[in-house]
Amino acid sequence: MQRYLNKLRWASLWAVFAMLVILPLVSVYQVYVASHGYRLLSPLSKRFYDVMYFFTSPFTDDPANSLDVIKGTTWSGSFFGLKISDPLAAIGQVAASLDPHWPFLVTALIPIVFTIIFGRFFCGWICPATLLYELNSNVAIWLQKIGLPTGNLHFNRRLKYGVLALGLVLSAISGSVLVANIYPPAIVGRELYYVTALGGFGTGTIFFILTLLFDILVARRGFCRYLCPGGAVYSLLGRYRLFRIKRTVKTCNDCAKCNAVCEFALDPMRDDFGQECNNCSACIAVCPTQALTFTTSIRDIPYQGPGHLGHEFNKSGQDDLPGQVA
Amino acid sequence: MRLYRSFVLLLLLCTVWCVPVYAHHVIGRPAYSWNEDSNTPPSMQVDIQMGDYFITYMVFPAFPKPNEPGRINLYAKRIDNDKPFQGKVSFTVRDDSWFNKREERIGVQTVDDNVFRQRFLFRQPGAYIITATFEDRGVPYIIDFPLQIGPPSRIGVIGALVGIMVAVLIAVNVYRRRHLLGEKVRHAAHDRKKA
Repeated sequence: MQRYLNKLRWASLWAVFAMLVILPLVSVYQVYVASHGYRLLSPLSKRFYDVMYFFTSPFTDDPANSLDVIKGTTWSGSFFGLKISDPLAAIGQVAASLDPHWPFLVTALIPIVFTIIFGRFFCGWICPATLLYELNSNVAIWLQKIGLPTGNLHFNRRLKYGVLALGLVLSAISGSVLVANIYPPAIVGRELYYVTALGGFGTGTIFFILTLLFDILVARRGFCRYLCPGGAVYSLLGRYRLFRIKRTVKTCNDCAKCNAVCEFALDPMRDDFGQECNNCSACIAVCPTQALTFTTSIRDIPYQGPGHLGHEFNKSGQDDLPGQVA
Repeated sequence: MRLYRSFVLLLLLCTVWCVPVYAHHVIGRPAYSWNEDSNTPPSMQVDIQMGDYFITYMVFPAFPKPNEPGRINLYAKRIDNDKPFQGKVSFTVRDDSWFNKREERIGVQTVDDNVFRQRFLFRQPGAYIITATFEDRGVPYIIDFPLQIGPPSRIGVIGALVGIMVAVLIAVNVYRRRHLLGEKVRHAAHDRKKA
């Protein structure tokens, strides 16, 4: 059953992305309806109005007021009346204003609780930028295959905590939530709104394209792993997450497919998940012996040695290896 | 009959004593009609808050075309006491293109019934930026507004770039979907050997 979680995750990522496209369209339609300005619309806008009317009229007679169940982006919004904000938005607000606005801070509680339980799940399951970054990773693999150079440099994973700290300090100095300008999910949400509702991209698009190029030319998923300020927040909150992936050493055959598919270049084959793992379950889906499963524990299991179905385990005397059950 | 006369007299007195009033739009600005000379014509409207002022900018018609006259209405009122700005506002225009610095002055307008009205006529379609500038108590106010003449171009430079990138992302992922996993595993093995 857990093998299909990765498919569910892809469905979730596409659904969130689709939501970020559809919501601005609904918002524009609501404005048109509320302003009673159909005759003033351009021909293209009239066609858009008609299409939206076709899809929404079976559900509501009052689109201007009754299509508000989901609003906003993953940065901050309301979901069936529940106001939810990214923890980075809450921290950024405190830093920029130096005055906590409690009603807003409370909206970050649900994501914080979920992160404490499921770890950096936002990055793997919800972040709209992740969808594009993962598609981009596959493009990098294809470019490598056709002989074009791609980058696979490694940096210190703690770099992103420095980016977070610097972003917050600059936010405090400037009085503006500057971290939102370099936070890919906030940028994607904002730019999709700009292009859908306002008819053009903003400068955030340029920044986001640069992050895609950074991932291809410098480091695989480099922005998420080394620079994302939100990733830093989620990693810290999810350090002692309750749900984590564990390897069953008895059924592991050391094929290393889990390491190959891990977008964050972790080492599941050596039980190295740490606080970076976003529980995306790609390693579970690819494991041919079902040696990787979700478990409940607040710490990773220390390295258990090579898999018992692997060559290394069978070649050795089977006496000195850690994790071996006599 | 007496009652009727008294009623007519009362009506006449009311007519004499009534204070002249002006029709106002619901958002507080005077409005007399719905044509292009109205202060609140059916138009594209932008509201912004800047410094001490709340500024409303309207363009008539909502979708101006080349070689057809149009008008910008600008209304600025102080946030603290709601008093409309009574000085002069200058309007300039420039092409909304990258690295373009060339500006052309359209005119300087004095207030007319609390509204600054600037007529325009563009020969070429395109995306323009109108800049309205005024000064109050030594503080300069410079406000940029977009103005689209004619139909907007369907795609810009960034749009084209994004379109290409999205096409590549989707095409590679769809076309290579059966091979990507194998290639990932092979590349990872190759990288491991190199390390």
